[in-house]
Amino acid sequence: MGDFGLIWIVLLLPVVGFLIQSLLGKRIAETAGKRVLGTIAVLPIALGFVVGLLLTQKLAGLSPDARSVVVPGFDWISVMGLRIPFEALVDPLSMTMVLIITGIGSLIHLYATGYMAEEKDYARFFTYLNLFVASMLMLVLGNNLALLFIGWEGVGLCSYLLIGFWYKDLNNSKAANKAFITNRIGDWGLTLGIFGIFALLAGNASQSSIADGRWLSYDTMLPALTKALAANPGMATVIGLLLFVGACGKSAQFPLYLWLPDAMAGPTPVSALIHAATMVTSGVVLLNRMHVVFEYSTVASAVIAGVGAFTALFAALVAFGQTDIKKVLAYSTVSQLGFMFVACGSGAYWAGMFHVTTHAFFKALLFLGSGAVIHAMAHNQDMRNYGGLQKYLKITFITMLTGYIAISGFAIPHVFGFAGYYSKEAIIGSALAGNHAVLGEGASEINVGVISGWVALFTAFLTACYMTRMTWLTFFGPERWRQIPVAVHHEHEEHEHEHSHEHVHHGAHDHGPDVHGFFYTDEEVAAREEHEHAHHELDGSHAPHEVPPSMWVPLALLAVASVFSGYFMEHDEAFYKWLYPNNLPILGEVSVHPHHVDLVMLSAIAAFGGLILGAAVYWKGLPKSEGWDLSKWNPLRKLAGNQFGYDAAMMTLVVEGGDGLGKLLWKGFDAGFVDGIVNGIGLLATSLGKGLRVLQTGLVRGYALLMVLGGLFIMGYFVYALNILGGVR
Amino acid sequence: MLSLITFLPLLGAIVALLMPESATKAIKAWTIGIATATFGVSLYVLSQFKADTFHFQFIEKYKWIPQFGISYFMGVDGIAIWLIALTTFLTVIALIFSTYINKRVRAYFALILFLESAMLGVFVSLDLVLFYTFFEFSLIPMFFLINIWGGERRTYAAFKFFIYTFAGSIFMLVGMVALANLYANVNNGHLSFNLLDLQSAAANGTLWSNAMHLQPFIFWLFALAFLVKCPAFPFHTWLPDAHVEAPTAGSVILAGVLLKMGTYGFLRFCLPLFPEATRQAVVPIMILAVVGIIYGAIVAAVQPDVKKLVAYSSVAHMGFVLLGIFSLTYNGLLGGSMQQLNHGISTGALFLLIGLIYERRHTRQFKDYGGIKSQMPIFATLFLIVMLSSVGLPGLNGFIGEFLAMLGAFEACFNGAYGLNLGFAVVAGFGVVLAAVYLLYMFQQMFYGKNENPENKRLKDLKPWEIAIVCSLVLFAVWGGLYPKTFLAPMEASVQATRLMVVNEPGLRPMWNKATDEIDMAGQSSDKGAFVEVAPRSLSEVGGPVEIKNVIAPANLHMQGGGQVNVKTQTKEHFATRQGETN
Repeated sequence: MGDFGLIWIVLLLPVVGFLIQSLLGKRIAETAGKRVLGTIAVLPIALGFVVGLLLTQKLAGLSPDARSVVVPGFDWISVMGLRIPFEALVDPLSMTMVLIITGIGSLIHLYATGYMAEEKDYARFFTYLNLFVASMLMLVLGNNLALLFIGWEGVGLCSYLLIGFWYKDLNNSKAANKAFITNRIGDWGLTLGIFGIFALLAGNASQSSIADGRWLSYDTMLPALTKALAANPGMATVIGLLLFVGACGKSAQFPLYLWLPDAMAGPTPVSALIHAATMVTSGVVLLNRMHVVFEYSTVASAVIAGVGAFTALFAALVAFGQTDIKKVLAYSTVSQLGFMFVACGSGAYWAGMFHVTTHAFFKALLFLGSGAVIHAMAHNQDMRNYGGLQKYLKITFITMLTGYIAISGFAIPHVFGFAGYYSKEAIIGSALAGNHAVLGEGASEINVGVISGWVALFTAFLTACYMTRMTWLTFFGPERWRQIPVAVHHEHEEHEHEHSHEHVHHGAHDHGPDVHGFFYTDEEVAAREEHEHAHHELDGSHAPHEVPPSMWVPLALLAVASVFSGYFMEHDEAFYKWLYPNNLPILGEVSVHPHHVDLVMLSAIAAFGGLILGAAVYWKGLPKSEGWDLSKWNPLRKLAGNQFGYDAAMMTLVVEGGDGLGKLLWKGFDAGFVDGIVNGIGLLATSLGKGLRVLQTGLVRGYALLMVLGGLFIMGYFVYALNILGGVR
Repeated sequence: MLSLITFLPLLGAIVALLMPESATKAIKAWTIGIATATFGVSLYVLSQFKADTFHFQFIEKYKWIPQFGISYFMGVDGIAIWLIALTTFLTVIALIFSTYINKRVRAYFALILFLESAMLGVFVSLDLVLFYTFFEFSLIPMFFLINIWGGERRTYAAFKFFIYTFAGSIFMLVGMVALANLYANVNNGHLSFNLLDLQSAAANGTLWSNAMHLQPFIFWLFALAFLVKCPAFPFHTWLPDAHVEAPTAGSVILAGVLLKMGTYGFLRFCLPLFPEATRQAVVPIMILAVVGIIYGAIVAAVQPDVKKLVAYSSVAHMGFVLLGIFSLTYNGLLGGSMQQLNHGISTGALFLLIGLIYERRHTRQFKDYGGIKSQMPIFATLFLIVMLSSVGLPGLNGFIGEFLAMLGAFEACFNGAYGLNLGFAVVAGFGVVLAAVYLLYMFQQMFYGKNENPENKRLKDLKPWEIAIVCSLVLFAVWGGLYPKTFLAPMEASVQATRLMVVNEPGLRPMWNKATDEIDMAGQSSDKGAFVEVAPRSLSEVGGPVEIKNVIAPANLHMQGGGQVNVKTQTKEHFATRQGETN
C-alpha cells in the first residue's frame, strides 16, 4: 500500500507549480526572465511523468488482481453516514491517464514556453496550465466520484480561464462562458447520477453495507453497485444516462458539443492539451471507470453508441465546411471523440481508452503543428491564406504529415499501420461484432451498435478526406498569402488616441480631488498607454520561418509516438490485457472481430480511399468553390460550415429566449405584480392615514408608532380568532 | 459569556455616541476595536464549544417577567455557533470598509454596532419574546443605515424593507402568543415562552394533543415571518431594492447575516415545535425554494446593475438553504446549515468587492465597466475567486453546502418522502447551471473586453489593506472548501437532533431540556443488526449524578418518511458496545 504513496508527489507537483506561478510568477519573469519561469512551469509536469513511469512499472509488476491500490489521505467531507476522503486510486486506467497527462502535458508545456514567448501575461498562462494539470490528475486519480467531480469542475474552470486568456477580445470571453455553461449542463447530469448512486446504495443499506460511509469510493462502491443494480436494472439505465449527460458535456458530444469549436479561441497549446489530448477525453474515462453501470444497461449503451456515431458523422461533415485550420481540428476532435463513445457503447471500453491514447498523440501533434503554422503566419488561421508552406516549415511539415496519416488510419493490412488505424479498427470491429448496444427485444430489436459501426467506418473515410483537405491547403499549392496587399499604417487610430486623452483630462476634474489615492494621474495614464503597440498582420510581404527547437522537439517526439504507439499497444492485445486483465465482470470478453466482415481490409481501404480522393480534389490548391467568395460555395458545404444551423438556432433560443424570459419575469412579475400589490397596500395605508397628518411628516417615530398600534390590533384580532377557532381558551 | 457578546457592541455604540462628532478617527478606531473584541470573544466561545452534544451551551437564564413566563434565556448550539462567529466577523469587515464613510460618522458606526448586538441577540435567544425583541430591533438600525447613507431611492427602499419584514414578523408574534397559551392549556395554566419548555411539550406530544388542527395554522404564522426574511419567492421583492440602496457595509451585513435569521428561524422554531405541520409543509415550501432558485437566477441574469444581480442571486442561494432544510434529511439539513455560512462569506465578499469599486467609480451599471481586468489585476483575481465560490466550484466553500443540500434533497425525492418526487431535485439542480450563467456574465461584463471607458483607465489596483480584508474572506472560502470538517463538525449533533425532532413520532423525539438525551453520532452504519459503538466521551460529558442515559440513534438514516428511533436506556457499564437497530 504505502509503496504507492509517491502518487501524492505526482498530484502535488503541479499544485506547487501553480502556487509558484501565481504568487511569484510575475516577479520571476521580471527578474530572472521568462525562460526561467517557463522552465519552472515545465519541471513539475515532467517530474510527475518520471514518477508516474516508476509507479506504472511497479504496478505492472503486481499480479493482475492486485493492480488496484487505494492510497489513503485525509478526510475531505466526513459527516455522519457519509465519508469522502482524499484518496488516490492507482490502477491501470488511472496510470494510463497519468502518463498521457504528464507525458503529453510536459511536451505541450515545453512547446508553450516557445509559443507564448512574446506574451505579456506569461505567468498567468502557466498558472492556469499548471492548475489544469493538477485538476486533470485529480479527476483520474481520485478514488471516489466526489474527487472526480472536483477535477471535473476544476478542468472546466481552467478551460474557461484559458479559452478567455486573451480577454480583451470579448468574443474570446463569450466562447469561454459558453464552454463553462455548456459543461455545467453536463455536470448537472453527472451530479444527479452521483446522487442517484448514493441514494440507491444508501437506500439499500441492508443489502450492501458500507460500514465507514465511503459510499462514493470506487473500491467499496463498485462491488456494492454491481449487487444493487443486479436487483434493479432499471436504475442502471437511469444512472447510466445521467452519467452520460456528464460525459456528453465534457467530451463534446451532440447536443452539447457546441462549446468545443468555440474553445479554439484559446491559445493553441491549450487547444492541444485541454481540447484534444486530455480534458475532452474525461467522459471516456468516466465511462470506463463506471463500466459496471453500462454493462447492465443495453438501453444506455445503445444511446451512447448512437450518440457517438451521430456525433462522429456530424462533426466530420461540418469539418468540410471550415476554413480556419483550428476549427477543422476541433471538429475532427469532436468526431474522434464520437468514435470513442461508439466503442464504449458497444462494451469495448478498452477500445475507447485505446483511441484516447493514440488520439492524444496524433491530435496533440496536429494541434501543435497547426500552432507552428499559425505562429509562422503572423497568427492568421485561415487556410485560404496558406499554401506551399512545406518549403518554409520543413520540420513542421514532416511531423504534421505523420499526424495526418496517423489520424487517417493509414495501414498496410497485416503488416503495419499508423496509430489511428489500430484503435479505429478496434472500435469499428467491436461495434460490428457487438450485441450489447441494442434497443428493444425480439423481432423489434434494433442493433444500434452495428449501425454505429458502419457509420463509423464511413466517417473514417470522411476523416481521411477532410484531413487531406487541410494538409493540402496548408502545405501544398501556391503561396496564397502573397496576394494580400501590404497594408498601410492606419492613421485614424492615432486620432482616436488623442481623443481619448482629452476625455481622461475632463474626467479628472469630475470627481474633485482624489483624496483616497484611487486614481493614476494623467501623466501615469499616458505612460501606461505607451506600452500598447500595433499588431503585425499577415500580408504579401510576409516570410514564414520555422519554429524554435522548444517547439519542434515536442512535435518530433509526438510524431514518433503517432507512428508506433498503435502497433505496440495492439500487439498481443497488450493494451487490452493491461486495462482489463480479467475481462468485464458482466459482459465477459467483448469481441472486436466481426466474423462476417473483413474489417482489416475495409478500414484500410476507407483510409486509403479518403486520402486519394482528397488529394485528387486539392492537388492544385484552393478550388474556387471554397474560396473567399461564399456565393460560389456549394450550398451543402455552406450548410456544413454553419453546423447545419444548429449552433445559431440554439444560441438564439437560449440567449435571446433567456433574456426575454428574464426581463419578462423581472419587469412583469417582480416589479409589476408583486410590487404592484405591495405598493397598492402602501397606497391604501397612506390614503387611510391622510387624516392623521401628524404621522405623515416623515418622522419615523410616527411610522413606528403606527406599526406597533397596527400590529397590536392585528395580533389582538388573531388571538381572538384563535379563541373562536377553538383550542385556546 | 453570551450576554457579553451580545451587549458589548451595544455598550460600544453608546460610548461612541458620547464621543464628539468631530473625532471621526477616534470613533472609527473605537468601534472597530469593540467589534474586534466581540469577534475575539466569539472565537473564545467557539473554542470552548463542545461539538458532541446537541444541548445548549453557555446557558444564561434569569427571570424577566415571570407572571407571563417570559425569561432572559440565552444559549448556543451547533446551528447558532457559526452564525455568531459569522456575525462578529462580518461586522469587523464591514466596519473596516466603512472608514470610507464621512457623512455623520458617529451615528453610522454606532448604528452598525447596535445592529450587531441585535443580530447576535437573535442567535442566542432561547426565549420567544427575547428572540422577537432582538428580531425586531435588528430592523431599526438597518432602516436608518439604508435611509440615511443609502443611494438615490433610499427612502423607498428603507420603508419597503421595514414594512415587509415587520409585517411578516407581526404574524410570528401572534403565533408566539398562541403557543404560550397552548402550553398553558396543558400545564395547569402556566404560560411559558421558553423554547425548551415548548419543545419538550412538542416532543412528548402533549403540546399539540388537543390542538393538532391549530398546528399548521401557527406553523405558517412563524413560517411567513421567516420566508419574508430569507427571502423566499414571492416575498423577495424588498431585497433587491434594499441591497441596491444600502451602503456597502449594510449590504454585506444584510446578505451575510440578516437573511440567515429567516433560515435560522426555521431550524430553531418551526422544525422542533411543529413537527407534523413541518412534514406537511415540505411540498409547498420546497416548491417555493425550487421556484426561488430558478426564478432568482433567471432574473439575476438580466440585471443591468451589478449589485442587483448579486441581490437576486441571494434569492437563488437562499433557495438552496431552504431546499436542504426542508428535505428533512440529515445531509440536507447539514448542507442547508453549511450553505448559510457559505452564502454569508461569498455573497458578503461579493458585496464588499462591489463596494470597493463603487467607492472609486460611483456607479454599479455594467455599461460603465468592462475590461478592467488589465487595469486592476489583483481586484480581478479576488473577484474571480469569490465569484467561483458563489458558483459552487468544488474546492471552495460554496460547493460543500450546495452538494450536501442537493444530496439530501435528492435522497428525499428519490425515496418519495413527504410527497416529493425527483422533479424537485432535477429542477433545483438546474439552478447550479443558471448560477454559472449569471455569475460568469457578471464577471465578463465587469472585467473582460477592452478597457475603453476613459474613467476606468485611471483606476489603480486595490490598496494593501483592502486586499487584506478581502483575503480574510477568501481564506474562509478556501478553508471551507478544502477542510469543511472545521465547520461541519460542531453542527452535526444539533442538526441530527433537530431532524429527529421532526421526523420522529412523539416520545421518540430528543428533548433539549432533558440532559440525558444524547445523539449517538457513532451510529454511522444503518445496517441491520450492526454493532454501533458509542464513544465514551458522550457519557463523560454529562457527569454528575446522572447514571442512566438515553442514546438516540440516527433514525433510519437514509429512508425518510416515517423514520423511527430506538431509545435505549443503558448504564455506564454497557456503553462500550451497543446494538443499534434501525429498521
